[in-house]
Amino acid sequence: MLYRTTGQFKTSYRTDQALFPIRQDAFLLTIILIFAWAILPFTASEFAFQTLLIPVLIYALAATGLNILTGYAGQLSLGTGAFMGVGAYACYKLITIFPEMNLLIAVLLSGVFSAGVGVLFGLPSLRIKGFYLAIATLAAQFFLVWLFEKWPWLYNYNASGAIQVPNVDIFGVAIAGPLATSQAQYYFVLGVVTLLTVITINLTRGSLGRSWKAVRDMDIAAELIGINLLKAKLMAFAVSSYIVGVAGALFVFLWRGAAEPNLFDIELSFRVLFIAIIGGLGSILGNYLGAILIVALPVILNTVPELVGLEIKSATVEHINVMIVGALIIFFLIVEPHGLARLWQLIREKLIIWPFPH
Amino acid sequence: MKHFTKLALAGALATVTAGAAMAEGLYLPNLSYRTGPFAATGIPLMNGQRDYMEMLNARDGGIGGVPVIFEECETGYSTEKGVECYERTKGEALVTQPWSTGITLQVLPQTNVDQIPILAPGYGFSPMSDGKTFQWAFNPPASYWDGMSMVLQAISGGDLSSLSGKKIAHLHLDHPYGKEPLPLLEAMGEAHGFEVLPIPVGISEMQNQSAQWLQIRRERPDFVIMWGWGAMNAGAITEAVKTRYPMDQFVGVWWSGHTDDLQLVGEEGAGYRAISWSLPNADAPVMADIREHVVDTGKTLASDEELGEVFYGRGIIISAILAEGIRVAQEMHGTAEITAPQLRDGLANLNFTAERIEELGLSGMMAPFSTSCANHTGHSGGWMIEWDGTQFVQASELLQADRDAIEPLEAEKAAEYAAANAPWPMNEACEAS
Repeated sequence: MLYRTTGQFKTSYRTDQALFPIRQDAFLLTIILIFAWAILPFTASEFAFQTLLIPVLIYALAATGLNILTGYAGQLSLGTGAFMGVGAYACYKLITIFPEMNLLIAVLLSGVFSAGVGVLFGLPSLRIKGFYLAIATLAAQFFLVWLFEKWPWLYNYNASGAIQVPNVDIFGVAIAGPLATSQAQYYFVLGVVTLLTVITINLTRGSLGRSWKAVRDMDIAAELIGINLLKAKLMAFAVSSYIVGVAGALFVFLWRGAAEPNLFDIELSFRVLFIAIIGGLGSILGNYLGAILIVALPVILNTVPELVGLEIKSATVEHINVMIVGALIIFFLIVEPHGLARLWQLIREKLIIWPFPH
Repeated sequence: MKHFTKLALAGALATVTAGAAMAEGLYLPNLSYRTGPFAATGIPLMNGQRDYMEMLNARDGGIGGVPVIFEECETGYSTEKGVECYERTKGEALVTQPWSTGITLQVLPQTNVDQIPILAPGYGFSPMSDGKTFQWAFNPPASYWDGMSMVLQAISGGDLSSLSGKKIAHLHLDHPYGKEPLPLLEAMGEAHGFEVLPIPVGISEMQNQSAQWLQIRRERPDFVIMWGWGAMNAGAITEAVKTRYPMDQFVGVWWSGHTDDLQLVGEEGAGYRAISWSLPNADAPVMADIREHVVDTGKTLASDEELGEVFYGRGIIISAILAEGIRVAQEMHGTAEITAPQLRDGLANLNFTAERIEELGLSGMMAPFSTSCANHTGHSGGWMIEWDGTQFVQASELLQADRDAIEPLEAEKAAEYAAANAPWPMNEACEAS
C-alpha cells in the first residue's frame, strides 16, 4: 500500500536508471534528510549529539570508505583504523602549521595524505588476494600505529604523545575544540558526510564502480574484458583511503577532541569492518544501519535500566549490554547474512508487492 | 523470514532520551572500570571509594546533612566510553572523576566551558598542579612528577649526585600515562649525570614483556623504575623474577604497588618497592567505621581480604579528599547543597593537617597537605612501601618531592598547554599567592 508502484511509468532509459526509480524511496529519503538537517539539530540534547548523532555519522563515513574497498572492489582490508589515524594526524599537522587554514579545507586535504598512504599499501593487492592481502593491510595497521608513537614530529613533541585539538573557528563560529557547540560540530560533520556520500553513490554507479564490481566478482574475467586491474584496484584503494582519512580527521577534530596513538589500534579497524559487514557489504545504506547498530545501540541500551527505574550496577549494565549487542549481531547475521541493507531491501520488495505476494 | 521481518520492523523504533532524573543529594559520579583489561586494578580502588561514601551516608547521613549519591558509570578504561559517561553525568555532576589519563586529557579543555571540577588524585597531567592555568583540575595529593622525584631520592639514598654515571631504565606503559614522568626524569638525568633508558611496553604486549626484559638483561641498568598499570604490573614482576633481576633495584610508581600483582610471585618478589601516598592501616578508626556500617550490613562489594589491600585504602583516601572538599565548600558558601563551581573552591582550600587526618579517622593512612588557588596538588609527599613476601609494609620515612626542580618544568608545560589551546582562560587572581 505504502510502497505501491502502480502508475509510476518509465518512459525513457534515463528515468529507469534514476537514483530513485520508485517515488516512495525519494520521499522516505527526503523525510530522513529533513530530520537530519532541520529537526534533530534543534531537538537533540548535548548527550545525543556527542554520543549518538556525531559518532554514528563519522563511523558510517569510515565504513563507507571501507565498503568501497571491501564491498565494491572485493579487497579485504584490516588497516582502516590506521588510515583514519593518517587522516587525523595530517589534519592536526595542517592546522598547527597553518593556523589560518579553513578547517573544511584541512579536513578535505587530510584525506589526500591517507589516500597516498593507502595507494602505497595497496600496491601488493596487484599480486596477492584475499586473506593474504588482509595480512598486508594488517602490516599497514601495525606499522602506522607504531609510527604515530615513535615520530614525535607528528604530535608536535607533546610530552604525553597525544594530539589535542586547538580551538578552530570558521568565519567566527567555533567548529572544533572545547569552545565549539555540539550543534556547530554536528552541522559540519553532517555537511561533509552528506557530500562524500553523494559522491560515493555516484562513483559506485558510474564506470569506475562497475569496474570495481567486475574486479570483485572475478578479477581474471574483468581483465579479459578489458578492465585495467592496476587502475581499478589502486583507484579503489585511493578513494577508500581518502574517505577513511576524512572520517579520521572528523573523528578526532569534530568529536574526540584529543587522541593518543593507540586509539587507532586494530580494535578500531575491526569496529569499522564489523559495521560494514553487519550493515551489508556493497551497499551505502548499510553503513548507516550498521553504525546505528554498533555505535548507537549500546549507548541507548545503557540508558534503558535507568529509564524503567531498575537498580542495576553500572558494571552489570555494561556486561548485559555486550551480551545483547553480541546476540543481536549473531541474530542479524543468521537472519540475513548479507547485512542489514539486504534486510531492508527484502522488506521493501515485500512492501511493493503487498498484499499479493506470489 | 516473515516473522523476522515483522520483528525487525517492531524493533526499529527506539526513543532517544538523555539525562537522568536525580534525587536530592550531592551527585558524585565516578567513571569506574570494573570491566576490561584494567579491571583487576580498578575494582579495589572503586570499592574503597564507594565504601567510604556509603559509610558517610550510613554514619553521618551524608556530608553536612545532605546524602551523597555516589554513582558509577562504567568505562572499561575506554576513552570513548569515558566521554559518553562524562556527557551523561555532567548535567547534575558536582565533580568529574575521570580515572584515566586519556579521559582526563579529553575532558580537561571542556572544564572551562562546563565549569565542573576534575578530581584526578595521583594521576592525570602533572602540570595540572598549576592552579592558575588549570582552574578546574585537581590532582592531590601528589603528581607523577612528584612521584618520580621521590623515587629518585629513595634509590639514591637522598643524594641525587650519587646516581652520577649510573643507568636507570624507565619501564613504562606506552600511553600518555607512562610517558608522563619522562620529561622530568630526562631533565634530572642531565642535571645529575645519570643515563635514562626509556623502555616502552605497548598495550598489546603487557602480558608478555620478554623483549623488554631481554633488553634490561643486556643493558644491565642499575635501577628499573616502573610506570605500569593493570596487567602490565604483574607481567613485569613475573618477568623480573624469571630473569632474576635484583628486586631491591626495582621500584614502581603508586599504581604499580598492587597487592594482587605481587601475590603472584609471593616470596620471590620480596624487596620490590613502590612509592605511595597512601598506606593501608587496618587499625585506623575509619576502617572500623566502614566495617561496622558498610561491610557488616552487607553493602560492600569488596571481599574480606581486599579490605587490607593498598588500593582499597587508597580508594578510601580519594573519597576522603573529595568529601573534605565538599565540607570546606559547604562551610565557605554557607549552604549544604553546593554547586560544582562551589566545590572547586572547596577543593582549592583543602587543609589536611595532622589533627584533621586524626579527626577523620584516617591516621596513618595519608600524609598532611593543603591546596590553594595556585597549588592544586598539595604535594603531600609519600612513603616507600616494600613487599615482604606476603604484604606491603612501610619501608621509609615520609619523602618529599624536590619541588624546586619540578616547578620550572611545570610552569613551562602549563604555559605550553595554554598556548596550544588558545584562547585559554587564566586565573589571574591567583598570582599573589
